[in-house]
Amino acid sequence: MINICNVARYQGPTEEELKKLRDSHVLLSSFEYERTPLFRGYTDKILTIDVGTKEASVADIPAEVKEKFIGGRGYCLRYLWDAVNPETRWDSPENEIVMSSGPIGGITQYAGTGKTLIATISPLTDIPIDSNVGGFFGPYLKFAGFDALEIRGKSDQDIVVVIDATRQTVTFEEAPLEHFDAHILCEELTALYADDENDKKNIAVVTAGSAAEYSNIAMLNFSFYDVRRGTTRIKQAGRGGIGRVFRNKGIKALVCKVDKVKGNLNNVYDIGIINKTGLRFHREMVQNDAKQNDMRGVGTSYSLRTLADYDLVPTNNFKFGDAPGIDNMTAKVLKSDWLTQGAADGCWYGCSMACAKASDHFLLETGPYKGQRVCVDGLEYESASGLGPNCGIYNPRDILEINFYCDTYGIDTISYGTMTAFLMECYERGILNKERTGGLDLTWGNAADDLEMLHQMSRNEGFGKIAALGIHKQKAYFAEMGWGDLSEMNDFGMEQKGLEYSEYSAKESLAQQGGYGLTNKGPQHDEAWLIFMDQVNNQIPTFEDKAEALFFYPMFRTWFGLMGLCKLPWNDIVPADNALTDDPKMVPEHVENYKNLYYGVTGQRITTDDMILQSERVYDFQRIFNIRMGKGLRADDAIPYRAAGPVFEEEYLSRQERYDRQLVEIVGLTEEEVQGMSVQEKMAATRKYREDQYQTLIDTVYRKRGWTRNGVPTVEHLRELGMDLPELLAVVEPLLAAEEA
Amino acid sequence: MKLNHREYAGFREGMTVADVIRESRFTWPNLVVRLNGTVVWPEEYGNTVVGSRDNLEVIHLLAGG
Amino acid sequence: MKRLEKNEALCIGCRSCEAACATAYYKTDDSAYACIRIEDGNSENAEAEFTIHVCNQCGKCAEVCNTCVIQPNAKGVYMIQRKECVGCLMCVGFCPEQVMVQSDDREEPSKCIACGICANACPTGAIYIVED
Repeated sequence: MINICNVARYQGPTEEELKKLRDSHVLLSSFEYERTPLFRGYTDKILTIDVGTKEASVADIPAEVKEKFIGGRGYCLRYLWDAVNPETRWDSPENEIVMSSGPIGGITQYAGTGKTLIATISPLTDIPIDSNVGGFFGPYLKFAGFDALEIRGKSDQDIVVVIDATRQTVTFEEAPLEHFDAHILCEELTALYADDENDKKNIAVVTAGSAAEYSNIAMLNFSFYDVRRGTTRIKQAGRGGIGRVFRNKGIKALVCKVDKVKGNLNNVYDIGIINKTGLRFHREMVQNDAKQNDMRGVGTSYSLRTLADYDLVPTNNFKFGDAPGIDNMTAKVLKSDWLTQGAADGCWYGCSMACAKASDHFLLETGPYKGQRVCVDGLEYESASGLGPNCGIYNPRDILEINFYCDTYGIDTISYGTMTAFLMECYERGILNKERTGGLDLTWGNAADDLEMLHQMSRNEGFGKIAALGIHKQKAYFAEMGWGDLSEMNDFGMEQKGLEYSEYSAKESLAQQGGYGLTNKGPQHDEAWLIFMDQVNNQIPTFEDKAEALFFYPMFRTWFGLMGLCKLPWNDIVPADNALTDDPKMVPEHVENYKNLYYGVTGQRITTDDMILQSERVYDFQRIFNIRMGKGLRADDAIPYRAAGPVFEEEYLSRQERYDRQLVEIVGLTEEEVQGMSVQEKMAATRKYREDQYQTLIDTVYRKRGWTRNGVPTVEHLRELGMDLPELLAVVEPLLAAEEA
Repeated sequence: MKLNHREYAGFREGMTVADVIRESRFTWPNLVVRLNGTVVWPEEYGNTVVGSRDNLEVIHLLAGG
Repeated sequence: MKRLEKNEALCIGCRSCEAACATAYYKTDDSAYACIRIEDGNSENAEAEFTIHVCNQCGKCAEVCNTCVIQPNAKGVYMIQRKECVGCLMCVGFCPEQVMVQSDDREEPSKCIACGICANACPTGAIYIVED
């Protein structure tokens, strides 16, 4: 077991290296501003930077925007809507990247209060992607005086934009010598802009990575400085290809520097209740974490082996839900062999959940940094399962190396994992072969060639160029080349709306199929995680129950993204007496904590209904934004069949008893009929049933959400929400009229 | 006997809550167990017997981050 | 190494120590602001009527601080560098003896620095500073 006290501090760049970097910087322009201090969680200012003209400006955020959009994801979508038009694509000059934390973001007393939310038009989906990320940038942006940052334009040369709260300047600089790969770039910029070693913690960097330039599945890295380890750590805004937009705009990095962090920079309404609530949560972690999920010890991968017990971990491209190899990846193994213990691993101050684990001084065996020992930020559940079992890989060493390179190259581990799984299944089915992959043997479990493909992505070479496309465009390409049948690939290519699925198997949970299929941005689990409630607890047996859950949970979970909050402290730990409450799965004490935090910061009391209303406004806005961009109607909520049932015989046979029984108990065939059917016939009957179920589900959910059969929010419903804004009515009214006709 | 509101096929006379959890492979660390509406704490799983007309809920608390 | 030590059998529960500490650092005799805590009853020591919770300089607070602002001085006394502290209160929550103090009118918590004021106030010698 590696304990933090035995981890040697990392070496940063030398003085000589820093001098070279500093000397090579060219100041292109500088903009001075007067910092607005925060008041009750807000400055009400937005910083707009134009990387084309190298100009910056500060504007007020109007009261109506604040009232309806609150912050975080709401602000991001509002400003993005205003910048783009229905023809805008990810690389159009008018596409923007908007970032915002939220009113509760940047308090230091409670766990998970440092998130940044980001939105842009995605290269994968052509609709807005919203993503959330830890690290220090969002709070630092607030401390610098800005509730949101709007990035527009495109730069011809690679630039770094520095928001310096200590000097009250925004500068645009050429930084030609800094590396592109995140693990070095973040170190370089942190060291460069810090006044001294002690000041490094006051620097936050946003970067992509070398592969981001070429890949649709590129993400953004958000850094913070780990004082104990003496190195920068990175968290990821993973989904949707934001990194590609960032690089397409010619941005190498953003830097935000602050004077210092103290406990009440937000100038809150009632610090007492915030202190009390934070302390209550810290004590809850002390007393319960080791007995519950051991987040402090393992992080989110605690769940991997247990979720496999329920057949929920995607293995071999979501074909199956468990595999013997997962025994190599238990929490016990990860703790004892790979993840450093005893470090204070929060990704923002005050996070006692501390789940941002690391594998220290990890020896890389491949790639441009082969032979070096690095700090790997991991191993989160999604990365573990997506890069691991979903690709038939069960060796934590290999998974950590793939995770490291995805991070430093700026590649989303979820999209990379799900996409590689797709490519491996194509390889298995003969759609791909060594000739077509340029020599890569994409057999399940081949970590070495998986890594080689990743390195090719970074160099924009060979099959790496195909890997860079993402599943949606790969299917089209393979069909065009005559290598595979598109409708078959549509069945097992796990993407929807253009975004790769995240790493939970929803096959046996209709509610989760809807949870994934109806998520605004594409199949990401942040809106709904209903698998246990549905499949195991049997708490939502009817369509109405499921629809209620598919209304309530996405709205409740969206709230976190308006506030700058991480969802994990909500339910990855529960108070000891949680079982005695009326609704243990809501963790009522934590909901109360969040209401108290909101009150403590803003002075406003809210009920759960208020939280839902705040969310629903932004949620429906995003739905209509999707419609405006061409992908927000019923047809776009269709899901690939692998997400709902067995596509090929081996999948059906792996659960034959269950599926045969369902044909009798649920579908309503007789035992004799089922016995007389071939596997293909049984599969067809299963498929028809499940596909019909999904259609009925979305009918019920749409009704519950106040949308039409085509998935369009009605005018009445928008009026109820106070969101009958002219620009929204302009999008929905013609569609509503057409539907009625 | 009902488990999470479904007929429990594996019921045996004299089985305990611990037996049901083990045989159902409910390995999830965060469970809320209620027998006929009353909470059963983990220490009691092994000595709480389930009857043929009982309603056992083994609620798995959420995951997903 | 310097720290506050205890002999619980001698404690008479007068709580002068709590009052002295809170008064010295927070100008109040409210024991919620004391870095020492007297509890009625003692389940471990049959000869003691009270349990004395003292900071034994275990360093847990330093361990959970993500910015290393709590450091042992030359005598092994863990000190909070107030200037660097962001007031996250994790140290207060994680203290095994629950003897760190958080006050709403201050941005940083405080802890026992083995100053000996409580020991001086103790009429029975149940608490005393030790230096090895």
